[in-house]
Amino acid sequence: MLPEPGVYLLLLLLGGWIALDGASFGQAMVSRPIVAATLAGWLVGSPVLGAAIGLVLEVFHLTVLPVGAARYPEAGPAAVVGGASFAIAGPTPSALLTATLFVLAWEWVGGASMRYLRQVNMRIAAVTAHPGMSPGELERRHIVSMMLDFFRGAVLVGGGIPLLTLVLVWTRVFWGLPEEVTRLAVASAVTALLASAFRLFGGGIKLFLIGASCGLLYLILG
Amino acid sequence: MKVLPRRVRAEILLRSLAVQGSWNYETLIGTGFAFTILPALRHIHRADPEALQTSLVRHAGLFNSHPYFIPVAAGAVARLEEDDVASPVVERFKSAIRGSLGSVGDQLVWWAWRPMSAVLGVALLLAGAAWWIAVIAFLTVYNTLHVGLRIWGMRIGLERGMEVGRVLRDAPLHRMGRAASNFGLLLAGFATVLAVARVSGPGDGNLLLGAGAVALGIWLGLRARTVVWAALGTVWGLGMLFGTL
Repeated sequence: MLPEPGVYLLLLLLGGWIALDGASFGQAMVSRPIVAATLAGWLVGSPVLGAAIGLVLEVFHLTVLPVGAARYPEAGPAAVVGGASFAIAGPTPSALLTATLFVLAWEWVGGASMRYLRQVNMRIAAVTAHPGMSPGELERRHIVSMMLDFFRGAVLVGGGIPLLTLVLVWTRVFWGLPEEVTRLAVASAVTALLASAFRLFGGGIKLFLIGASCGLLYLILG
Repeated sequence: MKVLPRRVRAEILLRSLAVQGSWNYETLIGTGFAFTILPALRHIHRADPEALQTSLVRHAGLFNSHPYFIPVAAGAVARLEEDDVASPVVERFKSAIRGSLGSVGDQLVWWAWRPMSAVLGVALLLAGAAWWIAVIAFLTVYNTLHVGLRIWGMRIGLERGMEVGRVLRDAPLHRMGRAASNFGLLLAGFATVLAVARVSGPGDGNLLLGAGAVALGIWLGLRARTVVWAALGTVWGLGMLFGTL
Protein backbone atom coordinates (compact mmCIF):
# COMPACT_ATOMS: atom_id res chain seq x y z
CA MET A 1 0.00 0.00 0.00
CA LEU A 2 3.03 2.33 0.17
CA PRO A 3 4.14 4.20 -2.97
CA GLU A 4 7.13 2.93 -5.01
CA PRO A 5 10.48 4.29 -3.68
CA GLY A 6 10.90 6.62 -6.68
CA VAL A 7 7.37 8.00 -6.27
CA TYR A 8 7.92 8.27 -2.51
CA LEU A 9 10.97 10.44 -3.15
CA LEU A 10 8.93 12.64 -5.49
CA LEU A 11 6.26 12.97 -2.79
CA LEU A 12 8.93 14.08 -0.29
CA LEU A 13 10.11 16.74 -2.74
CA LEU A 14 6.50 17.80 -3.31
CA GLY A 15 6.03 18.04 0.47
CA GLY A 16 9.09 20.30 0.74
CA TRP A 17 7.89 22.55 -2.08
CA ILE A 18 4.38 22.71 -0.65
CA ALA A 19 5.73 23.65 2.81
CA LEU A 20 7.77 26.45 1.24
CA ASP A 21 4.76 27.69 -0.72
CA GLY A 22 2.68 27.86 2.46
CA ALA A 23 4.65 30.80 3.84
CA SER A 24 8.37 30.89 3.07
CA PHE A 25 8.46 31.20 -0.69
CA GLY A 26 5.86 32.17 -3.25
CA GLN A 27 2.52 31.72 -1.53
CA ALA A 28 0.99 30.96 -4.92
CA MET A 29 -1.43 28.65 -3.07
CA VAL A 30 -0.07 25.45 -4.53
CA SER A 31 -0.17 24.50 -0.86
CA ARG A 32 -3.98 24.64 -0.72
CA PRO A 33 -5.50 21.17 -0.23
CA ILE A 34 -7.37 21.26 -3.54
CA VAL A 35 -4.04 21.60 -5.36
CA ALA A 36 -1.62 19.77 -3.05
CA ALA A 37 -3.77 16.64 -2.63
CA THR A 38 -4.53 16.52 -6.37
CA LEU A 39 -0.83 16.75 -7.25
CA ALA A 40 -0.03 14.00 -4.74
CA GLY A 41 -2.79 11.81 -6.20
CA TRP A 42 -1.45 12.50 -9.68
CA LEU A 43 2.05 11.39 -8.60
CA VAL A 44 0.73 8.04 -7.39
CA GLY A 45 -1.45 7.59 -10.48
CA SER A 46 -4.90 8.85 -9.50
CA PRO A 47 -5.40 12.61 -9.66
CA VAL A 48 -9.18 12.14 -9.51
CA LEU A 49 -9.00 10.54 -6.06
CA GLY A 50 -6.47 13.17 -5.01
CA ALA A 51 -8.92 15.86 -6.10
CA ALA A 52 -11.76 14.11 -4.24
CA ILE A 53 -10.00 14.29 -0.87
CA GLY A 54 -8.62 17.71 -1.85
CA LEU A 55 -12.20 18.96 -2.18
CA VAL A 56 -13.19 17.67 1.26
CA LEU A 57 -10.07 19.17 2.87
CA GLU A 58 -10.49 22.45 1.01
CA VAL A 59 -13.96 23.08 2.43
CA PHE A 60 -12.55 22.39 5.89
CA HIS A 61 -9.99 25.14 5.21
CA LEU A 62 -12.29 27.82 3.85
CA THR A 63 -12.59 29.44 7.26
CA VAL A 64 -8.97 29.01 8.38
CA LEU A 65 -7.45 32.48 8.09
CA PRO A 66 -3.76 33.15 8.86
CA VAL A 67 -4.54 36.49 10.47
CA GLY A 68 -2.71 38.06 13.39
CA ALA A 69 -1.08 35.84 15.97
CA ALA A 70 -3.63 33.01 15.55
CA ARG A 71 -2.36 29.43 15.76
CA TYR A 72 -3.57 27.67 12.67
CA PRO A 73 -3.15 24.20 11.18
CA GLU A 74 -0.81 23.81 8.20
CA ALA A 75 -2.77 22.40 5.29
CA GLY A 76 -0.16 21.73 2.58
CA PRO A 77 2.11 18.81 3.57
CA ALA A 78 -0.78 17.04 5.33
CA ALA A 79 -2.85 17.29 2.14
CA VAL A 80 0.01 15.63 0.23
CA VAL A 81 -0.11 12.78 2.77
CA GLY A 82 -3.89 12.48 2.38
CA GLY A 83 -3.91 12.77 -1.42
CA ALA A 84 -1.25 10.10 -1.94
CA SER A 85 -2.50 7.62 0.67
CA PHE A 86 -6.17 7.89 -0.27
CA ALA A 87 -5.39 7.55 -3.98
CA ILE A 88 -3.48 4.32 -3.24
CA ALA A 89 -6.03 2.95 -0.74
CA GLY A 90 -8.94 3.21 -3.18
CA PRO A 91 -12.24 5.01 -3.41
CA THR A 92 -14.26 3.78 -0.44
CA PRO A 93 -16.12 6.33 1.73
CA SER A 94 -14.56 4.81 4.86
CA ALA A 95 -11.07 5.37 3.44
CA LEU A 96 -12.03 8.95 2.54
CA LEU A 97 -13.37 9.58 6.04
CA THR A 98 -10.31 8.02 7.69
CA ALA A 99 -7.84 9.91 5.50
CA THR A 100 -9.69 13.20 6.04
CA LEU A 101 -9.66 12.85 9.83
CA PHE A 102 -6.00 11.83 9.85
CA VAL A 103 -5.04 14.79 7.66
CA LEU A 104 -6.95 17.23 9.88
CA ALA A 105 -4.96 15.93 12.86
CA TRP A 106 -1.67 15.91 10.92
CA GLU A 107 -2.23 19.56 9.98
CA TRP A 108 -1.86 20.46 13.66
CA VAL A 109 1.44 18.56 13.79
CA GLY A 110 2.48 20.64 10.77
CA GLY A 111 1.36 23.84 12.49
CA ALA A 112 3.33 22.94 15.64
CA SER A 113 6.47 22.15 13.61
CA MET A 114 6.14 25.50 11.85
CA ARG A 115 5.96 27.33 15.17
CA TYR A 116 9.03 25.42 16.36
CA LEU A 117 10.93 26.38 13.19
CA ARG A 118 9.99 30.02 13.77
CA GLN A 119 11.58 29.78 17.21
CA VAL A 120 14.70 28.23 15.67
CA ASN A 121 14.74 31.08 13.15
CA MET A 122 15.12 33.51 16.05
CA ARG A 123 18.56 31.98 16.65
CA ILE A 124 19.44 31.50 12.99
CA ALA A 125 18.33 34.65 11.25
CA ALA A 126 17.13 37.40 13.62
CA VAL A 127 19.31 40.49 13.70
CA THR A 128 18.91 40.55 17.48
CA ALA A 129 20.93 37.31 17.67
CA HIS A 130 23.44 38.43 15.03
CA PRO A 131 23.71 42.23 15.25
CA GLY A 132 26.79 42.46 13.02
CA MET A 133 25.48 40.45 10.07
CA SER A 134 27.13 41.27 6.75
CA PRO A 135 24.94 41.33 3.60
CA GLY A 136 26.27 37.93 2.48
CA GLU A 137 25.74 36.40 5.91
CA LEU A 138 22.15 37.70 6.07
CA GLU A 139 21.44 36.13 2.68
CA ARG A 140 22.97 32.81 3.75
CA ARG A 141 21.04 32.72 7.03
CA HIS A 142 17.78 33.60 5.30
CA ILE A 143 18.29 30.81 2.75
CA VAL A 144 19.22 28.30 5.48
CA SER A 145 15.88 29.05 7.19
CA MET A 146 14.08 28.36 3.93
CA MET A 147 15.98 25.10 3.42
CA LEU A 148 14.95 24.00 6.92
CA ASP A 149 11.32 24.74 6.00
CA PHE A 150 11.68 22.60 2.86
CA PHE A 151 13.20 19.78 4.96
CA ARG A 152 10.35 20.13 7.50
CA GLY A 153 7.75 19.66 4.76
CA ALA A 154 9.53 16.60 3.40
CA VAL A 155 9.73 15.07 6.89
CA LEU A 156 6.02 15.70 7.50
CA VAL A 157 5.15 13.89 4.27
CA GLY A 158 7.72 11.14 4.82
CA GLY A 159 6.38 10.40 8.29
CA GLY A 160 2.71 10.94 7.52
CA ILE A 161 2.30 8.53 4.60
CA PRO A 162 3.35 5.33 6.43
CA LEU A 163 1.29 6.32 9.47
CA LEU A 164 -1.86 7.02 7.44
CA THR A 165 -1.31 3.83 5.41
CA LEU A 166 -1.25 1.89 8.66
CA VAL A 167 -4.45 3.55 9.89
CA LEU A 168 -6.15 2.87 6.52
CA VAL A 169 -5.24 -0.83 6.67
CA TRP A 170 -6.50 -1.00 10.24
CA THR A 171 -9.76 0.75 9.23
CA ARG A 172 -10.30 -1.64 6.32
CA VAL A 173 -10.03 -4.61 8.68
CA PHE A 174 -12.26 -3.28 11.45
CA TRP A 175 -14.77 -1.01 9.67
CA GLY A 176 -18.31 -1.88 10.74
CA LEU A 177 -20.60 0.77 9.24
CA PRO A 178 -22.26 0.43 5.82
CA GLU A 179 -20.29 2.41 3.22
CA GLU A 180 -23.49 4.24 2.19
CA VAL A 181 -23.89 5.63 5.72
CA THR A 182 -20.26 6.77 5.66
CA ARG A 183 -20.75 8.38 2.23
CA LEU A 184 -23.77 10.29 3.56
CA ALA A 185 -21.78 11.50 6.57
CA VAL A 186 -18.91 12.82 4.43
CA ALA A 187 -21.24 14.39 1.83
CA SER A 188 -23.29 16.09 4.58
CA ALA A 189 -20.10 17.41 6.15
CA VAL A 190 -19.00 18.94 2.83
CA THR A 191 -22.46 20.48 2.41
CA ALA A 192 -22.48 22.01 5.90
CA LEU A 193 -18.98 23.43 5.46
CA LEU A 194 -19.83 24.94 2.08
CA ALA A 195 -22.99 26.47 3.49
CA SER A 196 -20.94 27.95 6.36
CA ALA A 197 -19.08 30.05 3.75
CA PHE A 198 -22.31 32.10 3.63
CA ARG A 199 -21.18 33.82 6.86
CA LEU A 200 -17.56 34.09 5.73
CA PHE A 201 -18.57 36.14 2.69
CA GLY A 202 -20.71 38.52 4.71
CA GLY A 203 -24.05 36.76 4.72
CA GLY A 204 -25.84 38.35 1.76
CA ILE A 205 -28.89 36.11 1.48
CA LYS A 206 -29.97 37.47 -1.93
CA LEU A 207 -26.70 36.61 -3.67
CA PHE A 208 -26.52 33.22 -1.95
CA LEU A 209 -30.02 32.38 -3.15
CA ILE A 210 -29.26 33.55 -6.69
CA GLY A 211 -26.23 31.22 -6.67
CA ALA A 212 -28.37 28.41 -5.30
CA SER A 213 -30.96 29.00 -8.06
CA CYS A 214 -28.19 28.77 -10.66
CA GLY A 215 -27.15 25.49 -9.06
CA LEU A 216 -30.70 24.15 -9.25
CA LEU A 217 -30.97 25.22 -12.89
CA TYR A 218 -27.66 23.51 -13.63
CA LEU A 219 -28.91 20.28 -12.04
CA ILE A 220 -32.22 20.38 -13.92
CA LEU A 221 -30.61 21.15 -17.27
CA GLY A 222 -27.69 18.77 -16.67
CA MET B 1 14.42 61.33 -7.87
CA LYS B 2 16.95 58.81 -9.22
CA VAL B 3 15.76 55.58 -10.82
CA LEU B 4 16.93 52.13 -9.78
CA PRO B 5 18.13 50.01 -12.72
CA ARG B 6 15.57 47.56 -14.11
CA ARG B 7 17.72 44.58 -13.01
CA VAL B 8 17.68 45.80 -9.39
CA ARG B 9 13.90 46.34 -9.44
CA ALA B 10 13.35 42.87 -10.90
CA GLU B 11 15.57 41.34 -8.22
CA ILE B 12 13.65 43.09 -5.43
CA LEU B 13 10.36 41.83 -6.87
CA LEU B 14 11.68 38.27 -7.11
CA ARG B 15 13.12 38.38 -3.59
CA SER B 16 9.81 39.66 -2.24
CA LEU B 17 8.44 36.16 -2.89
CA ALA B 18 10.78 34.93 -0.13
CA VAL B 19 10.08 37.68 2.40
CA GLN B 20 8.67 35.24 4.97
CA GLY B 21 11.52 32.74 4.53
CA SER B 22 13.03 33.41 7.95
CA TRP B 23 9.84 34.45 9.82
CA ASN B 24 10.62 34.49 13.54
CA TYR B 25 9.03 35.66 16.78
CA GLU B 26 11.73 38.28 17.40
CA THR B 27 11.74 40.43 14.25
CA LEU B 28 8.81 38.81 12.35
CA ILE B 29 9.69 39.35 8.66
CA GLY B 30 12.48 41.85 9.43
CA THR B 31 15.30 39.67 8.07
CA GLY B 32 13.18 38.86 5.01
CA PHE B 33 12.55 42.56 4.42
CA ALA B 34 16.29 43.29 4.53
CA PHE B 35 16.86 40.32 2.20
CA THR B 36 14.28 41.79 -0.19
CA ILE B 37 15.66 45.31 -0.43
CA LEU B 38 19.34 44.27 -0.30
CA PRO B 39 19.81 44.67 -4.11
CA ALA B 40 18.64 48.30 -3.82
CA LEU B 41 20.88 48.95 -0.80
CA ARG B 42 23.87 47.41 -2.61
CA HIS B 43 23.22 49.67 -5.59
CA ILE B 44 22.70 52.84 -3.54
CA HIS B 45 25.66 52.30 -1.19
CA ARG B 46 27.95 50.66 -3.75
CA ALA B 47 30.80 53.05 -2.91
CA ASP B 48 30.38 52.87 0.88
CA PRO B 49 30.40 49.37 2.46
CA GLU B 50 30.01 50.82 5.96
CA ALA B 51 26.83 52.69 5.03
CA LEU B 52 25.54 49.49 3.40
CA GLN B 53 26.17 47.50 6.58
CA THR B 54 24.51 50.12 8.80
CA SER B 55 21.41 50.44 6.67
CA LEU B 56 21.10 46.64 6.25
CA VAL B 57 21.11 46.05 10.01
CA ARG B 58 18.58 48.86 10.45
CA HIS B 59 16.20 47.29 7.94
CA ALA B 60 16.58 43.80 9.44
CA GLY B 61 14.80 44.97 12.60
CA LEU B 62 11.19 44.28 13.50
CA PHE B 63 8.83 44.55 10.53
CA ASN B 64 5.58 43.00 9.42
CA SER B 65 3.14 43.30 6.55
CA HIS B 66 0.88 41.20 4.41
CA PRO B 67 3.38 39.32 2.19
CA TYR B 68 1.76 40.46 -1.08
CA PHE B 69 2.10 44.12 -0.06
CA ILE B 70 5.81 43.86 0.72
CA PRO B 71 6.78 45.31 -2.69
CA VAL B 72 4.91 48.51 -1.69
CA ALA B 73 7.09 48.88 1.40
CA ALA B 74 10.26 47.69 -0.33
CA GLY B 75 9.75 50.05 -3.26
CA ALA B 76 8.97 53.02 -1.03
CA VAL B 77 11.91 52.38 1.32
CA ALA B 78 14.26 51.91 -1.64
CA ARG B 79 13.07 55.25 -2.99
CA LEU B 80 13.63 56.98 0.38
CA GLU B 81 17.11 55.46 0.72
CA GLU B 82 17.94 56.57 -2.81
CA ASP B 83 16.74 60.09 -2.06
CA ASP B 84 19.03 60.05 1.02
CA VAL B 85 16.18 60.67 3.48
CA ALA B 86 17.35 60.66 7.13
CA SER B 87 17.20 57.21 8.74
CA PRO B 88 14.86 58.18 11.66
CA VAL B 89 12.33 59.40 9.08
CA VAL B 90 12.59 56.12 7.15
CA GLU B 91 12.09 54.16 10.38
CA ARG B 92 9.03 56.22 11.32
CA PHE B 93 7.63 55.68 7.84
CA LYS B 94 8.11 51.89 8.16
CA SER B 95 6.38 51.84 11.55
CA ALA B 96 3.52 53.91 10.17
CA ILE B 97 2.73 51.75 7.12
CA ARG B 98 3.19 48.27 8.52
CA GLY B 99 -0.23 48.16 10.19
CA SER B 100 -2.15 49.27 7.11
CA LEU B 101 -0.20 47.00 4.75
CA GLY B 102 -1.18 44.10 6.99
CA SER B 103 -4.85 44.91 7.42
CA VAL B 104 -5.49 45.87 3.77
CA GLY B 105 -3.95 42.57 2.64
CA ASP B 106 -5.78 40.48 5.22
CA GLN B 107 -9.16 41.95 4.26
CA LEU B 108 -8.69 41.70 0.53
CA VAL B 109 -6.69 38.48 0.13
CA TRP B 110 -7.25 36.20 3.14
CA TRP B 111 -10.87 37.13 3.88
CA ALA B 112 -12.22 37.56 0.36
CA TRP B 113 -10.11 36.63 -2.66
CA ARG B 114 -8.64 33.34 -1.45
CA PRO B 115 -11.91 31.80 -0.16
CA MET B 116 -13.70 32.98 -3.32
CA SER B 117 -11.05 31.31 -5.54
CA ALA B 118 -11.20 28.15 -3.43
CA VAL B 119 -15.00 27.94 -3.64
CA LEU B 120 -14.68 28.40 -7.41
CA GLY B 121 -12.38 25.34 -7.58
CA VAL B 122 -14.71 23.32 -5.34
CA ALA B 123 -17.79 24.36 -7.35
CA LEU B 124 -16.11 23.26 -10.59
CA LEU B 125 -15.28 19.85 -9.11
CA LEU B 126 -18.83 19.41 -7.81
CA ALA B 127 -20.18 20.42 -11.22
CA GLY B 128 -18.22 17.56 -12.75
CA ALA B 129 -15.33 19.49 -14.33
CA ALA B 130 -12.06 17.61 -14.86
CA TRP B 131 -9.65 17.83 -11.91
CA TRP B 132 -7.11 19.82 -13.89
CA ILE B 133 -9.68 22.41 -14.93
CA ALA B 134 -10.64 23.02 -11.28
CA VAL B 135 -7.00 23.25 -10.18
CA ILE B 136 -5.94 25.53 -13.03
CA ALA B 137 -9.01 27.76 -12.59
CA PHE B 138 -8.30 28.14 -8.86
CA LEU B 139 -4.60 28.91 -9.35
CA THR B 140 -5.19 31.29 -12.27
CA VAL B 141 -7.93 33.34 -10.61
CA TYR B 142 -6.07 33.51 -7.31
CA ASN B 143 -2.69 34.39 -8.75
CA THR B 144 -4.01 37.02 -11.13
CA LEU B 145 -4.62 39.21 -8.09
CA HIS B 146 -1.54 37.95 -6.26
CA VAL B 147 0.96 38.74 -9.03
CA GLY B 148 -0.90 41.92 -10.01
CA LEU B 149 -0.69 43.24 -6.44
CA ARG B 150 3.05 42.60 -6.26
CA ILE B 151 3.81 44.37 -9.55
CA TRP B 152 1.47 47.27 -8.81
CA GLY B 153 2.84 47.58 -5.27
CA MET B 154 6.43 47.77 -6.46
CA ARG B 155 5.55 50.45 -8.99
CA ILE B 156 3.62 52.69 -6.58
CA GLY B 157 6.26 52.20 -3.89
CA LEU B 158 9.07 53.38 -6.14
CA GLU B 159 7.03 56.16 -7.73
CA ARG B 160 5.31 57.62 -4.67
CA GLY B 161 7.74 56.88 -1.82
CA MET B 162 6.38 58.37 1.39
CA GLU B 163 2.94 58.98 -0.21
CA VAL B 164 2.04 55.30 -0.63
CA GLY B 165 -0.35 55.54 2.31
CA ARG B 166 -2.53 57.96 0.36
CA VAL B 167 -2.33 55.80 -2.79
CA LEU B 168 -3.45 52.74 -0.79
CA ARG B 169 -6.32 54.71 0.71
CA ASP B 170 -7.51 55.90 -2.72
CA ALA B 171 -7.03 52.56 -4.52
CA PRO B 172 -10.23 50.51 -4.99
CA LEU B 173 -8.90 47.65 -2.82
CA HIS B 174 -11.87 47.68 -0.46
CA ARG B 175 -14.32 47.61 -3.37
CA MET B 176 -12.40 44.69 -4.90
CA GLY B 177 -12.69 42.79 -1.63
CA ARG B 178 -16.41 43.47 -1.48
CA ALA B 179 -16.86 42.32 -5.09
CA ALA B 180 -14.88 39.15 -4.41
CA SER B 181 -17.04 38.40 -1.35
CA ASN B 182 -20.21 38.93 -3.38
CA PHE B 183 -19.01 36.60 -6.10
CA GLY B 184 -17.98 34.14 -3.38
CA LEU B 185 -21.56 34.23 -2.04
CA LEU B 186 -22.93 33.38 -5.49
CA LEU B 187 -20.45 30.53 -5.87
CA ALA B 188 -21.14 29.26 -2.35
CA GLY B 189 -24.89 29.12 -3.09
CA PHE B 190 -24.22 27.32 -6.37
CA ALA B 191 -21.79 24.81 -4.84
CA THR B 192 -24.02 24.16 -1.81
CA VAL B 193 -26.90 23.05 -4.05
CA LEU B 194 -24.57 20.72 -5.97
CA ALA B 195 -23.33 19.31 -2.66
CA VAL B 196 -26.91 18.70 -1.48
CA ALA B 197 -27.50 16.79 -4.72
CA ARG B 198 -24.48 14.60 -3.85
CA VAL B 199 -26.01 13.85 -0.45
CA SER B 200 -29.45 13.00 -1.80
CA GLY B 201 -28.26 11.08 -4.86
CA PRO B 202 -30.52 10.43 -7.82
CA GLY B 203 -34.08 10.10 -6.60
CA ASP B 204 -33.54 8.84 -3.05
CA GLY B 205 -35.01 10.30 0.09
CA ASN B 206 -31.99 12.01 1.65
CA LEU B 207 -32.92 15.51 0.57
CA LEU B 208 -33.87 16.33 4.16
CA LEU B 209 -30.42 15.35 5.36
CA GLY B 210 -28.84 17.68 2.80
CA ALA B 211 -31.18 20.52 3.74
CA GLY B 212 -30.40 19.96 7.41
CA ALA B 213 -26.66 20.14 6.66
CA VAL B 214 -27.17 23.46 4.85
CA ALA B 215 -29.17 24.90 7.77
CA LEU B 216 -26.55 23.71 10.26
CA GLY B 217 -23.70 25.17 8.20
CA ILE B 218 -25.38 28.56 7.85
CA TRP B 219 -26.28 28.65 11.54
CA LEU B 220 -22.80 27.66 12.75
CA GLY B 221 -20.87 29.88 10.34
CA LEU B 222 -17.17 29.97 11.23
CA ARG B 223 -17.71 27.43 14.04
CA ALA B 224 -18.84 24.77 11.56
CA ARG B 225 -15.33 23.40 11.08
CA THR B 226 -14.98 22.25 14.69
CA VAL B 227 -18.51 20.82 14.93
CA VAL B 228 -18.23 18.94 11.62
CA TRP B 229 -14.82 17.59 12.61
CA ALA B 230 -16.26 16.29 15.87
CA ALA B 231 -19.27 14.76 14.07
CA LEU B 232 -17.08 12.95 11.54
CA GLY B 233 -14.81 11.77 14.35
CA THR B 234 -17.84 10.29 16.09
CA VAL B 235 -18.91 8.49 12.90
CA TRP B 236 -15.41 7.08 12.54
CA GLY B 237 -15.36 5.96 16.16
CA LEU B 238 -18.72 4.22 15.72
CA GLY B 239 -17.54 2.55 12.52
CA MET B 240 -14.50 1.12 14.28
CA LEU B 241 -16.50 0.18 17.38
CA PHE B 242 -19.18 -1.72 15.43
CA GLY B 243 -16.51 -3.51 13.42
CA THR B 244 -14.59 -4.54 16.53
CA LEU B 245 -17.72 -5.76 18.32
